[in-house]
Amino acid sequence: MALLEVRNLATHFFTREGTVRAVDGVSFALEPGKTLGIVGESGSGKSVTALSIMGLIPKPPAEIVSGDVLFEGRDLTKLSEKQLEDVRGREIAMIFQDPMTSLNPTLTIGTQITETIRRHYDVPKQQARKKAVELLEEVQIPRAADRLDDYPHRFSGGMRQRVMIAIALSCDPKLLIADEPTTALDVTVQAAVLDLLDDLRQAHEMAMILITHDMGVVAESADDIVVMYGGQIVEHASVNDLFDRPEHPYTEALLGALPQIEGEGIRTGRLTAIPGRPPDLKNPPPACRFAPRCPYANANDSCATVIPELREIRKDHWVRTAHPACERAGAREPEKVQA
Amino acid sequence: MTTFIIRRLFWTIPVILLVILLTFTMMRQIQGNPFRKSERAVPEAVQRNLERKFNLDKPWYLQYAYYVKGVATYDLGPSLVLRGRTVNDIVEEHFPVSIELGLYAFLFALITGVPLGMIAALRHNTALDYGAMFFSNVGHAVPSFLVATLLIYFFALQWGDVTGLPTSGWSSWEHKILPSIALGLGPMALFARLVRGTMLETLQQDYVRTARAKGLHYRRVVGLHVLRNSLIPVVTAAGPLLGFIITGSFIIELIFNVPGIGQYFVTAVNARDYSVVMGLTVLLSVIVIGANLVVDILYGILDPRTRDART
Amino acid sequence: MVANPTDIREEGIAVEPGAAPASGAPLRQSNLWRDAWRRYIRNRGAVVAGSIFVLVLLYCLIAPILSPHDPNAVDFAMASQNPTWEHPFGTDKFGRDLFTRTALGGRVSMAIGFGATLAILAIGVVYGAISGFVGGRLDNGLMRFLDALYGLPYLPFAIITLAIIGKTNLWTMMVALSIASWFTAARIVRGQVITLKENDYVRAAKAVGARWYRILGRHLLPNTLGVLIIAIFLELPAVILGEAFLSFIGLGISPPDASWGAMAQEGRTVYRTHPTAIIVPSIAIATLVLCANFVADGLRDALDPRTKES
Repeated sequence: MALLEVRNLATHFFTREGTVRAVDGVSFALEPGKTLGIVGESGSGKSVTALSIMGLIPKPPAEIVSGDVLFEGRDLTKLSEKQLEDVRGREIAMIFQDPMTSLNPTLTIGTQITETIRRHYDVPKQQARKKAVELLEEVQIPRAADRLDDYPHRFSGGMRQRVMIAIALSCDPKLLIADEPTTALDVTVQAAVLDLLDDLRQAHEMAMILITHDMGVVAESADDIVVMYGGQIVEHASVNDLFDRPEHPYTEALLGALPQIEGEGIRTGRLTAIPGRPPDLKNPPPACRFAPRCPYANANDSCATVIPELREIRKDHWVRTAHPACERAGAREPEKVQA
Repeated sequence: MTTFIIRRLFWTIPVILLVILLTFTMMRQIQGNPFRKSERAVPEAVQRNLERKFNLDKPWYLQYAYYVKGVATYDLGPSLVLRGRTVNDIVEEHFPVSIELGLYAFLFALITGVPLGMIAALRHNTALDYGAMFFSNVGHAVPSFLVATLLIYFFALQWGDVTGLPTSGWSSWEHKILPSIALGLGPMALFARLVRGTMLETLQQDYVRTARAKGLHYRRVVGLHVLRNSLIPVVTAAGPLLGFIITGSFIIELIFNVPGIGQYFVTAVNARDYSVVMGLTVLLSVIVIGANLVVDILYGILDPRTRDART
Repeated sequence: MVANPTDIREEGIAVEPGAAPASGAPLRQSNLWRDAWRRYIRNRGAVVAGSIFVLVLLYCLIAPILSPHDPNAVDFAMASQNPTWEHPFGTDKFGRDLFTRTALGGRVSMAIGFGATLAILAIGVVYGAISGFVGGRLDNGLMRFLDALYGLPYLPFAIITLAIIGKTNLWTMMVALSIASWFTAARIVRGQVITLKENDYVRAAKAVGARWYRILGRHLLPNTLGVLIIAIFLELPAVILGEAFLSFIGLGISPPDASWGAMAQEGRTVYRTHPTAIIVPSIAIATLVLCANFVADGLRDALDPRTKES
């Protein structure tokens, strides 16, 4: 049985200006101990998906309008807030993009770690503090015992993200959701934090959802990758298959936008190289949401009229487009021309 | 933290000296020596004597020095009008009453205003929120003398048989209810608006989401993570609030005939009892400065970032 | 036409379309006001408050001219009437028409209110602009001075000021009310000037050698205007209430010219039998204060869109 199964999840924001379909029919599954990468531009719905799983979407204006989130067979969307509180932090933990604002500035980090432990386990304060020191050591914060009573403003961004990871690990969750964990960090510490996350995931036998806009981040640590665009999944495959044979024009563009370093494979990169803008999710394009930016879409073909389904183009490789790479005339190799 | 407090304490000394100097300079500008009022024909020699007794014949900086010394040793000098009474007597007689009234008003404002603001923020954009904010806006705008008069009119006169509340005076606990509410209504409205505003802002913060993501109970998220950060601006507002209460007490004490400092201040101004006016002004200023000091220290306790910045 | 070299260079930058950051300043400004107006109009509460505010102003200006009643005509036969068609607000204990007298009182209150507010802003602008613009040790000293005075209760100092001047009229009331109330305004202006000073277009102007008074007059003060307009509506209610308090404790301007506060004080003597006489001027004060507060909030949201949308 899958640890987490998201089925046809739709989360909409009901604003005065109209309904924003931030997440619109997303499905995927995650096995225990595996890592799923969710990749997309900002506004593609990847963060809202994560918050929907945790039951942390801001209501109002947001609302889960349909779909199930099955965690070990239990539908999280049907749980009461009280029951959800027991799941959060204990079964599923989450770390966020900006470590500078994600820790409470008025409480010591010791308090912020131990309050999590003591919320989920009935342990005395001293024992929780001991556990907190171990956690800080595990995330490689020097002089852990001394730093327990420091306030967050005494820590650098990278160190704070390590504290966030320590908090997330404190109750041995089965699933860790990392929402752009390295985006706000200096390039020099990004790799270190990513390596740490992956090591800890293995050591604690957790499953992980790694959300990012950066293909380079998921290339090394993810098992499967979901590419999101305009609130929908446009491609879903194993990491190797996706990198070797991307089918969706958007994925191709994402990979094409990556700078290639010889011999080293893929490192970091931004998505700015794709022309056009992400769709307005109040008034999305009528059929294929990528059509306005798609180099293969023609004005008079089906892209503007027929909604493309997510179809299995070969075993375990799903794609949502009328023009997958393998079906195009002349096929393949649009980008990989080396000078 | 200790160095911060000591440093902050040290800084209040020149501030108090400056405020005394300002008050002193202003008082010296007032025309009309109380001993040279035309109605009272006092022989020239007696006048000289009186002036010497009150140091009025010395140069201004010596007078200032004497006065500062007086303030430091809590000796605010004799009343110029009431023979045989000192400003200290007057302070000791009227000041506790004002403190009591201000304290009750502050407590009333705190225990009604903060929850009102919290409810409004937690039920943002509902009828409850709008109602609370309308009430708070009106409470902030209506002059305290109308509130006081209406309270007396309804609770002491119209329904006096039921409530048993008196119209004025300060002798029993029944006397203290209406003045405290009348004085506290404005600060209460201020608290409610402040708490609502900062709480709405705090609720949006990433660390509140983190707290929820850790599975903390809603009560702890709101009660610790949100409230603690929301109260920082409220504490900062407590300084000006004290000024607000002092100003209000002038009116409220007059209407309810409460024998406090505010009422006596007006009497003293009209009687040209300048040593009393000056003593009371300096006293009120020192209290405000002291309150600002406490606010700063509280701020340092509540927000650890400021501690590092200033020590 | 010969201009000095600095002017030419400065003009050069201002004309260049969208290239240098300096040209952003005037362009941003016109859009700012139009956008602000549009945002304000969309805020229903602020529009209603603004309309009532204007209506009250008009009432105070027009009602005494149109009214058939002499505001100072004493008629004990008509004393302490409740509202009727003839006297929409009733009459006071001397039988004077409160509809007319409230309008006249409003003129007095408003004259003192606006006068003192402008005085407060004038002091605040000069103090704040000097402090913020010069910076350094002077700024530090001036701000320490403000810190010292911050939060002092204005009422005792206003009362002493009145005692110093020795007489009470429109002008002395303005002085008394502004003398201990300008600290906040000075702080706001200084904060704004310092923020703007760090802006790119000011740096650009400095880089091309514009003189300090030109930077101050052309770039800093115009951009502080929005803050000042908000400050007017923030200070006005405080000043009007302050005047009412002073009048209420018997230190207002002398009869028969009565401000709202003085009318309330007069009404208080008969509140047991005829509460209308204190309620009417008090509600007038409350209405004006409430509207000014709402207008200030609306203006703040309109002029500073970053704080909008919660």
